[in-house]
Amino acid sequence: MHTTRRDLFKFIGGSAVGALFTPAPWRLITDTALWSENWPGIPRPARGEIKTKFTNCALCPAGCGVRARCVGEQPVSLAGVASHPLSRGALCPFGLAGHHLPYHPERVKAGDAQGAAAAVREAVAKCAGNERIAVLDLRPGRTASWTYRRALAGVKNGLYVAAPQPLGGWAVDLAKARTVISFGVPVLDGWGTPGNVLQARANFRLVQVEPVQSRTAILADEWLQVEPDVAAATAIVKERAANGPVLVLADWPELLALNQPGETIAPRQEAPVPDSWKTAAPVTELSDVPNASIRALLIDESVPGAYIPWSEIETKLVRDNPMVVAFGPSRAGYGRHARFTIPTPVYPELTDDIPPAVDCPGTAFRVSAPLLPPPGGVVSPADFIAGLGGLDAANALRERADAIHKSGRGAVFTYADAKSTPVKELQPDDFWKALNEGACWIGNSATMPARSGRGPALPREPRPLGSGHQDSGFTVVFTGSQPGLLVSPILSKLYQESNLRLARNGAVLHPDSARSCGVEDGSRAFLETPLGQCAVEVALDPSVPPGFVQVAAGPEVLDICGASLRARVVRA
Amino acid sequence: MRIPGKLLFLAGMLAALGVGWVGFPLAIYKSRPQPVDFSHKVHAEKAGSSCEDCHAFRADGTFSGIPTLDKCAGCHAAPMGATVVEKKFIEQYVTPNREPQWASYARQPENVYFSHITHVKAAQLKCEQCHGDQKSNDKPRLYQEDRISGYSRDIWGRPSSRVPLRTEGGMTMGDCVACHRERGLEHSCLDCHK
Repeated sequence: MHTTRRDLFKFIGGSAVGALFTPAPWRLITDTALWSENWPGIPRPARGEIKTKFTNCALCPAGCGVRARCVGEQPVSLAGVASHPLSRGALCPFGLAGHHLPYHPERVKAGDAQGAAAAVREAVAKCAGNERIAVLDLRPGRTASWTYRRALAGVKNGLYVAAPQPLGGWAVDLAKARTVISFGVPVLDGWGTPGNVLQARANFRLVQVEPVQSRTAILADEWLQVEPDVAAATAIVKERAANGPVLVLADWPELLALNQPGETIAPRQEAPVPDSWKTAAPVTELSDVPNASIRALLIDESVPGAYIPWSEIETKLVRDNPMVVAFGPSRAGYGRHARFTIPTPVYPELTDDIPPAVDCPGTAFRVSAPLLPPPGGVVSPADFIAGLGGLDAANALRERADAIHKSGRGAVFTYADAKSTPVKELQPDDFWKALNEGACWIGNSATMPARSGRGPALPREPRPLGSGHQDSGFTVVFTGSQPGLLVSPILSKLYQESNLRLARNGAVLHPDSARSCGVEDGSRAFLETPLGQCAVEVALDPSVPPGFVQVAAGPEVLDICGASLRARVVRA
Repeated sequence: MRIPGKLLFLAGMLAALGVGWVGFPLAIYKSRPQPVDFSHKVHAEKAGSSCEDCHAFRADGTFSGIPTLDKCAGCHAAPMGATVVEKKFIEQYVTPNREPQWASYARQPENVYFSHITHVKAAQLKCEQCHGDQKSNDKPRLYQEDRISGYSRDIWGRPSSRVPLRTEGGMTMGDCVACHRERGLEHSCLDCHK
């Protein structure tokens, strides 16, 4: 039998015609279309029983109550807890999107924890008499902070360094203030507990003193577009004192000292701790640490807190081969300078407590109970550092809760039923269970302690606030109050596209300022200081006064600015 | 000897028809058995269970779907009979508290909204209307999944391509459209699709 090429084509032609009368080609077309709807990277909504869980947000010291809607075990939306005595049912945009953070593209999930532990132990062994093994705690006052202090008491030359507290460790009672004078503090934009601030807002007059028209300045009753020195600031405060109690908010102790202690401001109070913890290492401020004295530094940035410019930290490290370990969910913060970055659980995976916020004058204790299990490979900094000191701190939170229960003070507000129960009526196990299922312990009724007569301490060397324009460049004004905060990518995109939030690499200038340094709207530039430079994208805004540059308070910018608030903008 | 051209064309056509109608449906689906040889028949007849005993609505109106191990363990913490299937189920799943990885024949794609409570309580549809008569089912059939789209064979494709071929309602889009059309409920794509 002889087969030609023509025969083959006839067979193929018949097959092609026949195929059209079968489901195969049509099915392949539709299946391929469906396949494109099911790419492996497309997120799939969780399925399962709808549950409600409660916890406390650990993204900032406000620690707002959180009601999480979960499908199965997966949180799919977060909301505030209605009638919460501290957060008043509110949750900020960062908190609303907190459940996205475990999937953040910048998240680090693997690190050499064993290598870091070995390196720290080696550093401890090599540590000379005048050298220190230090832990820098960016959010002091937590149970983890006590764990660090206890562990360091057992480490040779251990030193516990706490980041400066907002308002110098003082708490304010907004409900008592009739006038709030804020010197650049973003009162209505991420400062304090959002729900508490909004509730108190109706009862006080807000005077915002800052050179740039921030969002707080826009919403204030009065905006003073000045950059006052201490004398001028004192005059502003005295002028408004006749209207009732005045609360002065500022980052500078000179201005904080204008407050009347016991009236609207009081020392921040801490929840009780077990007596056995009180032999822990003392709290030291970074400024009190001698230069070139830290051999190994462990930085806990697992929860967002204060940010200290790297240049200030670097001067405290020994000159020859210091060891820096950063604990954090990303490398965006101190991980850029550390030899080891150890990944940590991120909210809402972590188990941590939240000390009282700056606008909570009473004692409070809340636990951020995990809504999701942390992935393998992440390390709790408290466990790591406790291990260095030979301390078993696995039950530290429980011990703290028992100490609070033992004090018999205060009441527990449980989120599921919105009930307040006196601690005395609860068994220790029930108290602990309530804290883990969403509750807040309030030690007293948030009233101000009696007048102590002593206000915030004056600094040793008063620092003039007026910048004076003595050198070249612009005065830097920061926006945002959470430099180390990991933000849900979808949220930051929405914020930035709607111009509600300045991007981490954004710099805003007055058109005249931009012209003077040769940059245009949307152009690339460098923000330059004696400590270095970082790339920025320029935006023009006539509401920023000439001579100022407004930037987001991100780690890169804070690092190059250091204590100086002057920077040049240089065309890229 | 030379084969006539028309015959070759016809042979090609028949070969394609055979491959398209017989070979292709076999090749496009991959099959896997269910983790447990669960008998609806035994549960319906011997235990006297109804569908709602295991496939219940939750208090908030959502449908529980395939019951979780907790539900099964409620009765089968210890063997109730002497069957090998039950013994294996207890050994492999109940005792180690391991959830069986059931494959859901009826799982709709992510782009579909389907509310059981609307169909069962409001429209008064019987479970059999879509799921077929499961009460006589003594062993779960193989789960068949489209190799390309990843969808269950029960929910995607024309009703005539379903296995086993059924004349009553089903769970394909064609079935849904036919039923809605019959009841005058055909409004728009977004009634069911996200």
